[in-house]
Amino acid sequence: MLNKTIAIALLSALLSAPALAKNYVISVNGIVCEFCAYGVSKKIRKLPFIDPSQYDQGVKVDIENQKVFVALREDALLDKSALFEAIESGGYDPIDIHQVSESEAAMEVIE
Amino acid sequence: MKPILFVLFFTLVSNLYAHQPVMDMAPRWNNGYGVQTRVEHANSESTTWLEGVYTFKPSLRMTLKVPHSNGEIGDAIFAMPIKSYQNSGAFTSNWGLTPSVRMPTGGGSHWDAGLSLSYSSESRNLYQLYDIYAMGDTTGIDINFGLVHADGKGSSWFTLWDITAKDSDSGQHLLSGPVLVYFKRNLILRAEYKFAAYDDDKNWHGDYFGFGIGLVY
Repeated sequence: MLNKTIAIALLSALLSAPALAKNYVISVNGIVCEFCAYGVSKKIRKLPFIDPSQYDQGVKVDIENQKVFVALREDALLDKSALFEAIESGGYDPIDIHQVSESEAAMEVIE
Repeated sequence: MKPILFVLFFTLVSNLYAHQPVMDMAPRWNNGYGVQTRVEHANSESTTWLEGVYTFKPSLRMTLKVPHSNGEIGDAIFAMPIKSYQNSGAFTSNWGLTPSVRMPTGGGSHWDAGLSLSYSSESRNLYQLYDIYAMGDTTGIDINFGLVHADGKGSSWFTLWDITAKDSDSGQHLLSGPVLVYFKRNLILRAEYKFAAYDDDKNWHGDYFGFGIGLVY
């Protein structure tokens, strides 16, 4: 039963991959606490290319792994420098960014 | 043994002043601000502090603390915490230098200058803060350390132990006890109880209770 549930979750994640193609994940040094996450999320949500309909108003912070997930609007382009600047103004140091992979998307679905 | 500890503490700190509001940890972001109220009960009387903070950028804040006791406003303290942050993987830390001034808003005409030097760090599970300070005739040290429990959904608990030592013209005392801090998004609560482990201070008698609630934006 559990295997079937996981299989369904993985399948739905794969099917939903195109919708997540414009989502990105940023590794951020030092973002270990909930109020760290609050400040960074607050800054990122103000960016015009963020899609507030996904995650928590466009942003999700994984403090276990020091990662910040952002969702982009369908019609918007990523402005990496603005995004990194927003994280820095939130008090933390972004290291790198990449598109949310299928495995990361699948993990989100399972969560 | 205890007097030796005090000598050690207070030879290390000569001209520093403490600044450790509930919001030592936040707001850490550019143009962040917050307000909080903190009620302290000690020496058979209660004091309510009204406090505000504005963060220009993570490295520079400004704070104002105004005490209110027995229907009267006391001397307000204005401070400018300057912080240097270091972030590395699942670890963040900062050094802080806080110049401050105590203003005679409660009457009188005496101004006091102060300075504090602090260090704090936080990982996924541990938090620690060390603060040495001086203002007027008072010098002291404040230590918080303990565990962090984050739920990954926007809230976290800090279960800490506090050690506070002060020396002034009226004598010396050392307080210690548990501290509980709760964060939920932009809400911060702090409750603490400290017992007098050492008391040779004619202006200090017994234990301390404190409770604070703050909001940051």
